[in-house]
Amino acid sequence: MTRKQRRLTMICGSLAVLAVAAALVLNAMRDSIVFFSTPTMAAEKQIPPGKRFRLGGLVQPGSLVRGDNLAVNFSIADGSATLPVAYKGMLPDLFREGQGVVAEGALDASGVFKADTVLAKHDETYMPRDVADALKKQGHWKDDYGAKPGATAASAPVQGTAK
Amino acid sequence: MIAEAGHYALVLALALALIQSTVPMLGARWGDPALMNVARSTALAQLLFVAASFTALVMLHVASDFSVVNVFENSHSMKPLLYKITGVWGNHEGSMLLWVAILALFGGLVAAFGNNLPLSLRAHVLAVQGWIAAAFYLFILLTSNPFLRIASPPIEGRDLNPVLQDIGLAVHPPMLYLGYVGFSISFSFAIAALIEGRIDAAWARWVRPWTLVAWIFLTLGIAMGSYWAYYELGWGGWWFWDPVENASLMPWLAGTALLHSAVVMEKRNALKVWTILLSILAFSLSLLGTFLVRSGVLTSVHAFATDPSRGVFILLILCLFIGGSLTLYAWRAPALKQGGLFAPVSREGALVLNNLFLTSACATVFIGTLYPLALEVLTGDKISVGAPFFNLTFGPLFVPLLVAMPFAPLLAWKRGDLLGAAQRLTAAGIAALVAIAVLFAWTHGGATLAPLAIGLAIFVIGGALSDLAERTALFRVPFATAMARARGLPRATWGTAFAHAGIGVALIGIVCETTWNSEYIGTMKPRDIASVAGYQLKLDDITQRQGPNFREMIAQFTVSHDGETLEVMTPSKRNFTTRDSSTTEAALLTRGASQLYVSLGDTNAEGAIAVRIYHKPLVLLIWWGPVLMAFGGLLSLSDRRLRVGAPKPAKAARALQPAE
Amino acid sequence: MTLWFVFALMTVAAIFAVLWPLSRGSSAQAGGSEAVVYKDQLAEIDRDVAAGLIGSSEAEAARVEIGRRLLAAADGERTLPARANLGLRRASAIVALVGLPIAAVTFYLALGSPRLGDFPLASRTRMADVSQPLENMVAQVEAHLEKNPTDGRGWTVLAPVLARLGRFDDAVRAYRNVIQHAGDSAERRSDLGEALVTSAGGVVTAEAKAEFERAVAQNADDPRASYFLGLAAEQDGRKADAAAIWRAMLSKAPADAPWRPLIETALARVGGAPVAPALSDDAMAAARDMNEADRGTMVRGMVDRLAARLKQDGSDVEGWLRLVRAYIVMGERDKATNARIEARQAVAGDAERLRKLNEGLKNLGLDG
Repeated sequence: MTRKQRRLTMICGSLAVLAVAAALVLNAMRDSIVFFSTPTMAAEKQIPPGKRFRLGGLVQPGSLVRGDNLAVNFSIADGSATLPVAYKGMLPDLFREGQGVVAEGALDASGVFKADTVLAKHDETYMPRDVADALKKQGHWKDDYGAKPGATAASAPVQGTAK
Repeated sequence: MIAEAGHYALVLALALALIQSTVPMLGARWGDPALMNVARSTALAQLLFVAASFTALVMLHVASDFSVVNVFENSHSMKPLLYKITGVWGNHEGSMLLWVAILALFGGLVAAFGNNLPLSLRAHVLAVQGWIAAAFYLFILLTSNPFLRIASPPIEGRDLNPVLQDIGLAVHPPMLYLGYVGFSISFSFAIAALIEGRIDAAWARWVRPWTLVAWIFLTLGIAMGSYWAYYELGWGGWWFWDPVENASLMPWLAGTALLHSAVVMEKRNALKVWTILLSILAFSLSLLGTFLVRSGVLTSVHAFATDPSRGVFILLILCLFIGGSLTLYAWRAPALKQGGLFAPVSREGALVLNNLFLTSACATVFIGTLYPLALEVLTGDKISVGAPFFNLTFGPLFVPLLVAMPFAPLLAWKRGDLLGAAQRLTAAGIAALVAIAVLFAWTHGGATLAPLAIGLAIFVIGGALSDLAERTALFRVPFATAMARARGLPRATWGTAFAHAGIGVALIGIVCETTWNSEYIGTMKPRDIASVAGYQLKLDDITQRQGPNFREMIAQFTVSHDGETLEVMTPSKRNFTTRDSSTTEAALLTRGASQLYVSLGDTNAEGAIAVRIYHKPLVLLIWWGPVLMAFGGLLSLSDRRLRVGAPKPAKAARALQPAE
Repeated sequence: MTLWFVFALMTVAAIFAVLWPLSRGSSAQAGGSEAVVYKDQLAEIDRDVAAGLIGSSEAEAARVEIGRRLLAAADGERTLPARANLGLRRASAIVALVGLPIAAVTFYLALGSPRLGDFPLASRTRMADVSQPLENMVAQVEAHLEKNPTDGRGWTVLAPVLARLGRFDDAVRAYRNVIQHAGDSAERRSDLGEALVTSAGGVVTAEAKAEFERAVAQNADDPRASYFLGLAAEQDGRKADAAAIWRAMLSKAPADAPWRPLIETALARVGGAPVAPALSDDAMAAARDMNEADRGTMVRGMVDRLAARLKQDGSDVEGWLRLVRAYIVMGERDKATNARIEARQAVAGDAERLRKLNEGLKNLGLDG
């Protein structure tokens, strides 16, 4: 083979692999991507039952009900709307009423969000970014969530209590 | 005094970095050896000052000096000493200081052991290191200064996140950083080569040990991080395709590709331009990794820093270094001379294939990680790309890579004999087929992919062994001769075999864990019994205990198998009063490479406790694989030919001859 | 001063790092070269041939290739003569000598706080600071008192801290020592009585009552002693006596006494006076009439004490319920939920207590 042919082989091979990779990516994008929304957005968009999405907001205080064998019901609220959520399994350590949470799953026919994964905020000052943004937009954000105390302040640890 | 001295040392390091980044460049431009040597002494002095600065911060944490904001926010006087120390890098500011300390360490190592480098190359490399260092010193001093003070110190600190109070987490970030920052050396070499406009086979040999060091640490760091997530997060997952994990995987993929392409360059003087590009990419992805973790732009279970102003600064650094280096590359790379020729079927060809698949896999991870961000910036839609995406893209790309892997070491340079290589892999192929057949017979009706994947893993391991057998002519010559030949083999060959076999071992673990994992999730009361995978777990008792800074609820399980009592497992749940939060401490029972995993949930109204029990067959292989890979890397590194300072090779060779 | 001396030393070291190579002139040794690598590669081929790892024809081809690189490298190196550039060297030296210290000090002064000393924990605990809720400070004082048990002032400092930490039995002992070594007074007797009451979980025991009686004997107007004597009467079922004691207190009290509302509510409880109907939790209601700061301190102190005690001994179901209710009233639902979880964990081993706890929680509307 000449130099040119060899180079051609290499380039064709590379393109083939890249094409395969691109095809895989596009295929996976179609099937395995989930959108994020808050209860308000979910109501506005009228997400059909069975479509998977991530639901984020604050756990409505007082809404947590534990059923038999690890079944849990609670509501996720974002200030203007709430959505009931049903989940079966163990909740993360940091799951609290009044705290930010993201659940992944789909709505069922009766409008209940059936979650198969629940993620809670990771530590005291961290909140799922999607939730924080959404809440900020709707004016339900208290700035002290992520606040770092100034060099002079020796303030008490910030409590994450939201309305 | 300690705080201020540490602070000033950091400022001096910045000043030295600025000198280191300019004077040696001018020296190289005018050919003045004295000016070029400034690089060396400033790099060493910089290391000294950063080390002093880091030591100061450690001392402040140990002494619980809450007049330092960083200590106040991230420490607590009641914290055990070990976590006071590890808490230094458990937070944003401290971890960035660790980052630059490691950067200075690598710079210092090049300065101290780079005697075999041409003077101008060393000057250029250290100057580029100086640019990176200066940028990060500025970042730390201006936006994330760990030495800021409080005039009236608070009484007590605010503790470390209890989830982070764990020895696994304490060790894995420094490992990852050693990996990330290690790639800065190959980056600096690449930029130096572009500036000098000259690059050849010797360059690859000089770069390879540095890349190898970075790669070894990154491999271990990723494996440790994964094991930490496995036992600490309490639900037995070991890889989440979380952006933070992806951020460490991407440089690893690029770095692995770089290791392989550097071999081609060293041996055959080919793929030069590509190797330069990979060097730039590997470090760019490392910077991106730092950025993703540190700026909090991504939703992640790992994120513990959220401050946009820092994000903007890091974004600037990213643009400067990635954009700048790629521009330099586009400008200078065409001027570099082309290298040796090779046929598509040859060792070079196989390594090119390896690079193609690794970079494609890296690209898919990149897209999966950053697409949500890009989409949000462009359309405002928030999406999440989870495990299914990566399983569908990354998996298929790795299969051909693994199939091809055993062939490459058996192919000759320049023009290889595919048929011959295939013949020599017959034994490995047969072993793989037998494994597949046995597994199908054993699991009949079960998953079809799993036996195939295990067959592939066996093929990979068998291939690595065949390569060794082939080179030592085992089974063809008397055993003693084969042993003698084995001792004579370059350590790099052994390294290759171990690293490749490590991939196969990890693959077996991954497949077994995901396919034949069994679990029990439910509520249990004392004296209840749960059975999982042939094990019976009896909940004996639930007790309370007061720890140093937490309260603990401990459940005690007696584990038995076929009526025979094995051991007592004690998972627990800790409540940390200062943070008002809790962590789950899972209990693990190791049987061979398999593990039984128990973690606790909340107590319900009837006094029953939520329990998760998993049986994970061969799960430990997932981490033994990377350890094997890192060991292979270490063997390769100890190869005489790659030793960093190896002076006077001819004499050294003779001296070493009897030992071989 | 030491600080600036250290700074100066560090600066000198940094300057030296730049000046040293410059002073070495052009005699500096040349670095390594590519040729070395290629020679090494040639040697390696020889070794591989000797070990039989590669065939002789392949070895020959490789030697030719490496030989070509060797020649090219030798060509490349000859084009790089070393020459000294004195102007640049001088400029670099000036930058190091003048620019470096000025830049470093300016930068540092903008960010650093050179006037602040160190505040390590060890030296800070030596400072007297009563608000410091640290066990180690207490331990220090206790160690001191072990050696000097007659130091009345030490006991006076320690006793309230112990009470705040929830170590009521120790607090009782400490208050006894206060009286013994620092002198008797109505206030101190009341302190001791109050500690006894708290350690008994709110019951005015005979022992406590005796202390309050001693306090009243010394100062008939001591409000705390009078209040608790009333409470003792109430707990004994002598409501009329209690009402009489409290009514007498109110009649003598100044109009702005901070404890007035507390007494009024107590009085209302025993059905003595026409004050506004009290809520279930007397202290809470009393707190409502205080000013913001007083109320906060009072309620917070009570709740913290209760929480601290329950942390020591979690078997008190009533205590847990009171704590949860307090948190709910204070609007700290988070803490209430936490307390509920802790309570359940604490009494999980005892079915009877757990049942009581769950019933109580249900009444508070916090089950689940």
